[in-house]
Amino acid sequence: MSTLLTAEYGVKNIIKSFGGAKALSDVSLSVKSGQVHCIAGENGSGKSTLIKIMSGVHAPDSGQIRLGEKSFSELSPREAVREGVQVIFQDFSLLPNLTVAENIAIPTYISRNSLFFSKRETKKIAESALDLIGVDLDITASVEDISIASKQLIAIARATNLGVKMLFMDEPTTALTRKEIKHLFKVVEQLKERGVATVFVSHKIDEIQEICHTITILRNGEVVADGLMKDFKRDSISEAMTGLNISETRIAPPLKETTEKVIEVKNLKTKPTFSDISFSIAPGEILGITGLLGSGRTELAEAIFGQYPIDSGELIVGEKSIQLNSSSAALKAGIGYVPPDRLTQGLFLEQSILRNLVAVGIDQYQGKGKLLSKNRLTEAGEKWIKDLRIKTKNPSNPVTSLSGGNQQRVVLAKWLAMNPKLMILNGPTVGVDIGSKREILEIIRDRAQEGMAFLVVSDDIPELVQICHRVLVIKNGKISKSFDELELNEEILYEELS
Amino acid sequence: MNYKKLLRRNETALIIAIVILSAVIGAKSPEFFTLANLFDVFRSSFVQLLFALGVLVVIISGGIDVSFPVVGIFSGYSAVVLMQHFEWNPGNILLPVALAILIGILLGALNSIAIASFGIPTLIATLGTSGIFRGILLTFIGSSFISDIPLALDKFATADLLKIQPAEGTLARLHVLIIPIAIITILVSLMLNRTMFGRSIYALGGGIEATRRLGISVKRTQAKVYMFVGGISGLAGILYVSLQRKANPYDLAGSELDIIAAVVLGGASIMGGYGTVFGTVLGVILISLIKGNLILLGVSGSWQRAAIGALLLIGITVQAINESKKAKNRRVSTSDEAAE
Amino acid sequence: MNERFSKLNTGLLADRKVTQLMAITAATFAIFSFVSPDIFFSSANFTSMAYQIPEIAILSIAVMLSMLTGGIDLSIVAISNAAALVAAGIMTSKMGEAETLSTAWIIIACVVGTIVGLAAGAINSLVIAQLNVTPILATLATGTLFNGIAIGVTDGVSVSGLPENFMRVGNGTFFGVPTPFVLMVIIALIVGFFINRTTLGLKVFLVGTNRKAAQYSVMGDRKVIAWVYLISALLSSLAGLIIASRTSAASPDFGSSYILLAIVVVVLGGINPNGGFGTITGVILATAVLQMVSSGFNALRFSQFFYLAAQGAVLIFVMILNVVLERRRVSRSISKSLRS
Repeated sequence: MSTLLTAEYGVKNIIKSFGGAKALSDVSLSVKSGQVHCIAGENGSGKSTLIKIMSGVHAPDSGQIRLGEKSFSELSPREAVREGVQVIFQDFSLLPNLTVAENIAIPTYISRNSLFFSKRETKKIAESALDLIGVDLDITASVEDISIASKQLIAIARATNLGVKMLFMDEPTTALTRKEIKHLFKVVEQLKERGVATVFVSHKIDEIQEICHTITILRNGEVVADGLMKDFKRDSISEAMTGLNISETRIAPPLKETTEKVIEVKNLKTKPTFSDISFSIAPGEILGITGLLGSGRTELAEAIFGQYPIDSGELIVGEKSIQLNSSSAALKAGIGYVPPDRLTQGLFLEQSILRNLVAVGIDQYQGKGKLLSKNRLTEAGEKWIKDLRIKTKNPSNPVTSLSGGNQQRVVLAKWLAMNPKLMILNGPTVGVDIGSKREILEIIRDRAQEGMAFLVVSDDIPELVQICHRVLVIKNGKISKSFDELELNEEILYEELS
Repeated sequence: MNYKKLLRRNETALIIAIVILSAVIGAKSPEFFTLANLFDVFRSSFVQLLFALGVLVVIISGGIDVSFPVVGIFSGYSAVVLMQHFEWNPGNILLPVALAILIGILLGALNSIAIASFGIPTLIATLGTSGIFRGILLTFIGSSFISDIPLALDKFATADLLKIQPAEGTLARLHVLIIPIAIITILVSLMLNRTMFGRSIYALGGGIEATRRLGISVKRTQAKVYMFVGGISGLAGILYVSLQRKANPYDLAGSELDIIAAVVLGGASIMGGYGTVFGTVLGVILISLIKGNLILLGVSGSWQRAAIGALLLIGITVQAINESKKAKNRRVSTSDEAAE
Repeated sequence: MNERFSKLNTGLLADRKVTQLMAITAATFAIFSFVSPDIFFSSANFTSMAYQIPEIAILSIAVMLSMLTGGIDLSIVAISNAAALVAAGIMTSKMGEAETLSTAWIIIACVVGTIVGLAAGAINSLVIAQLNVTPILATLATGTLFNGIAIGVTDGVSVSGLPENFMRVGNGTFFGVPTPFVLMVIIALIVGFFINRTTLGLKVFLVGTNRKAAQYSVMGDRKVIAWVYLISALLSSLAGLIIASRTSAASPDFGSSYILLAIVVVVLGGINPNGGFGTITGVILATAVLQMVSSGFNALRFSQFFYLAAQGAVLIFVMILNVVLERRRVSRSISKSLRS
């Protein structure tokens, strides 16, 4: 164990409102040096506001920020860095056009107020930083050419180098493979040795249970539970996060016996992403596909929809082989696709809810003389708002006015409006609150009962177990295993993945 | 591997283009390969290069500036007007140069306010300010051509570093400006690569949010960039006036395209984050060669503009195709790594 | 109560910019009528404005379309001149020594001119939609290329002395209203109908808001963008023909100042430079405002360069205003979303 004096870092009785709305009310949190702490909470629980206060982006209305011996009523970003508070954001905040060494060293130069910049000094700073966390990387490579896991290590090295005392990691494992997560945890162990107070912001309960020592759970800007990690059970964490007691029991509808196939995928191959992919989906079947990041699961889903190149293979929809590498052919054949990132791929953010709801297959809203029929648009919009229970006062409000869960329903609705035979959902409930998640899964169930086939791509194992009839596991671009309804459970999937 | 990398570099392609073009022009008309012609190419590139260095810096930072030619002529012309008004007639050109640079920086500062403080898209902001500057210049400062520019400036036009009279042919004059221009070029290169300001400019072009999180002040860097362009454009403007031996407020407007073309051909990415001084120098030389020697190639001078447009179109198209190839490769390589 | 209020508010929000502009238009009119009651507030001036507004308005509508998709078309003036030159060339070569030309030949000349303009637009479409070159640069390059070709072919000389019956279109009246004005109204109605009442129009707004999401929604984003630059070229060609008809001449360097002016109009007209939002009414009103400023300045004997400065100032001012209002709106919507 560390022989350093243990110092405490955190906040006390923080209150923060934005224009009358309380984002944080009376939040206190304390992390000892050399400990790994977890902040868990849903979107909008105040996690990011808290990080922003600690890193000097926002000033709290009242309360204190405590960093070791010192106490502040607010911090500037520079002060935060000087006092050793560092945040690793999900996008790592790296510059793709600069080298690894430059990305690590630039903040050091800034903290020294240097005017000049030397290659030799940069190399020295970068190497020593990587040494500190026991990582070996090519420091002359451009950041745009390296893997996501390496990017994360660079971000950590950079933070360490600045004399980090308190390190926030925002959802650090979402983009990592199991092996890379293990490596990351080793690096975190090193940070512990060096007396860094590390804060994991995550909702992946398995991982936080593995690495974290203490936990604080936020909901609606309040601390609803905190304490030692070992005192918490899986269910109690998720219950505290949501305030609901939502069971994760299976809701998949019974599957009718049939030899009919909605789609048959034959020997799909794209070098080097995936190969030998063959499977078929029956009407009303919900097929899950999972795999680690980089396994090729997202690429496979996009390939079927014509958004990722296919080198060879066949897609048969209703006995006919459809044209590959064409989204419009996929659309015509009755395939729909909900992409993983609704903000950048799914929605037209500043546009109205109505326009978002009709964005797919706009041509079907033609009335007389090939003109756009406003009545049909409004009718369709109102129908979907009602059917999917999208909470809004006015369909002509921008879609940004909706919560994450309602936004996801809009993306879902624009595809359901096409009444596809096969709906591909990539991460259907990413970043939506648990209540909405449940409702979205129920929408999937109801449609499946009506005969719509689903391909659900997800890394959310409990969700797959809850909703799917069958799950395929992809490893290194190949189907490594297929589990049917009888075999399906969480343990077996986790085991297959690791 | 390294050899291959070298071949793929933009600079290599440019050098090859320059060599081939020179060979073709030289084969058609032997007078191309005279010292006099070489020195003329230099002389006609000085002002262009200064502007180009300014534009390079903005483009690396991820922006664009179309107001620099107006800033240049505004500064050069106003400096002359000021000197005439106060009857300053110094023996050397330091005063007008300093004046022009100062005016350029002031105008650049206005761009900085629009861009850094208010976040107006750079093209729109500089398009707007170029209208303002040109309007002010021609309405309030002067709209007539000044031929009796201060003596120091006039004399500087013929300040030759060396004169070589070959056995036959024209006298070759190498202007003294070659030295300060070379020094400035090297200084800009050092600034970009060896100072924190320079690295911050590249960082800014790589991504605004990430730059901010590195602790670099985005606004301050942007502000400095546009002031730098203003200053260097002011310098270019006064040198232009001096080399032309007259101050014409209608000049330079509309020349932004040649410069932007040179910088983009030199390998700077219009999306920001990439670009080198060496590439820019080559780009300027290529454009000067084409502009100055189309006639030697037997093409009428009136096709100059079309040639530059075509060259720029080819340059950016190649850049765009490379970019999409790179994106494709990157996509494959990340899945490759993860798949081990 | 609160609910109803917010509904009312959002309903108005879309038209608020237009309402603001109407107020600005009225104010501009009032001010100039007051300061220059004899010259500005005269039927002669109104008539002359009605002849000048259409050209700018049609070019601005072209820029508006590209801006709605998040791009920009800087080649409008080059295309408009190219179309006019081709048409003028055919007309002058066909009429010989005569003063007029048969209607059939005039129509053929205009059609061929328009086809050439469309071909230029097709190059823009290809480079932007298919090769993914940034629109600013792509159209800067193609604009220079088209303009350069025009200069090369004509040697920079303008073509004048067009048939009298052709000139009657640009200088005549239709039921007492200047013909170009009538044409503008028809074009504005058609384009307004296109963007508001056709599926392609709706796609223009969506592609401009989020290209990636448009891709995933399989609306043929490339096709949408390709169409926009084609239509932009068509409108530019028509503007070119109207200009030729009004001035009885076509020249490769006519109206280079129209690019800045069109962008000022579009931004003042409330089109979001990042794409996705804007109305044609806004563009027409903004054209009227700027034309009144121009005529007013003329009446007050301000120089044309003062008008240039005013254009730049308006552009910067409107952008700053937009930024400030946007910041207020964002901070308010953050607090609102937190409250709900």
